Amino acid sequence: MTKLKYLNNIFWSLVLLSCEKTGDASANLSTGKGGSLSKFTIIGNYVYAVSSHFLYTIDISNPSLPSKVNESPLNFDMETLYPYKNRLFIGSKTGLYIYSLEQPSAPKLIGEAKHGRSCDPVVANDSVSYSTLKGSTFCGPATSGLYVYDVRNLSAPVLTKLIPLNEPIGLGMADSALYVCNANEGLKVYDIKDAYFPIEKSTVAGPGFIDVIPYDNLLICWTATGINLYDITNQLTPVFIKNIAN
Amino acid sequence: MHCKSPLLLILLSTIHFSCWKYRGSAPNDGDGYSPPAPPVKVWGYKPVYGVESTAKTISFTSSPRQVVSGGNIYAFQNYIFQVETGYGIHVIDNSISSDAHRVGFINVNGCSQISIKGDKLYTNSYDDLVVIDFSDLSHIREFSRAKGVFTEYRYYSPIAQPPGPGFYECPDYGNFVVAWQMDSVTQQCYKSF
Repeated sequence: MTKLKYLNNIFWSLVLLSCEKTGDASANLSTGKGGSLSKFTIIGNYVYAVSSHFLYTIDISNPSLPSKVNESPLNFDMETLYPYKNRLFIGSKTGLYIYSLEQPSAPKLIGEAKHGRSCDPVVANDSVSYSTLKGSTFCGPATSGLYVYDVRNLSAPVLTKLIPLNEPIGLGMADSALYVCNANEGLKVYDIKDAYFPIEKSTVAGPGFIDVIPYDNLLICWTATGINLYDITNQLTPVFIKNIAN
Repeated sequence: MHCKSPLLLILLSTIHFSCWKYRGSAPNDGDGYSPPAPPVKVWGYKPVYGVESTAKTISFTSSPRQVVSGGNIYAFQNYIFQVETGYGIHVIDNSISSDAHRVGFINVNGCSQISIKGDKLYTNSYDDLVVIDFSDLSHIREFSRAKGVFTEYRYYSPIAQPPGPGFYECPDYGNFVVAWQMDSVTQQCYKSF
């Protein structure tokens, strides 16, 4: 397992050596990988961060002298930030926003998909993005569930599927599987070989699933009782390894 | 009244849709729910302040700490990090997943976010960006800092608000809240969840 991870790390570091600016959220040696509920991310030489109303860009090319180079006012209630290549996917309470980082020091809005008011983390790749919306008392009236968008045309994302879920929160994507934390209803595992039409395969039972990071062959879950680790050598059937209790 | 500028008032009124400052009558928050009008003195959360130099000191404790308010997670090489919202970052050694265990805690007041590049960890302490060198686990230290870059985090970081619902003493954002304690409070803000 460890050796596999090591080999995989070498593989990714080789892949990523050739594209230093790639901020792909897949596991890599240089930047690691965050959960979907994060408001911070690093792409190339920049830290991008969101607060409710601002997107901040910090130049860290010289780590001993970080400096803010941009502060963009945004639509209200920015929630999460997800990096993919030279794009930032920002989940908010009012919709999904896609920013281009062609000019890394000045992110530019290139696409958006508005939905009803709700909470909204997001994961994405070249062609598809997955968001969970939780229409609760806190977050507004939208239908709770997993929202699948075709983002091949970035300026006009198209909703291809909505899978209702009661309490969806964080989510994570591996090659052929999507993991969606559904609080006390467990961790949902979807087959995404057909990316636009996920098929539910199984549910991992457990208390309070909040967020998840697929990290090579390891699935790292933030739950209400601690960090749970699962082996996902077979991505569609997570095998429990360990609970690191709170 | 601790609000120091019109800008702050605007920020507070737009951001804290769930929190309001008591002004003699309970507002209707739109959901038909009106909190009860408070008496002059109530039992509620009171902010505990630290001086800036102390509040913002980064340190490492090489023993596990219980997770009370778990936050964002981050995987990096053989480590897993988890934010303790408002207080710092838990460090887990994941070299052998079946034996993954907590090895320490990085104390960072006002912390809510984490990202990593190389052997540097980037986090926030209140509205500062803090760069932490963790190339040597036994000598985790502050490497650099960009002060006040996250304008809005100053008022909206988790530690800037009390940990639970109810009336609380409105914090003075000119100071640095390092904790909240229950006390008899007179100046009242209200948090609905």
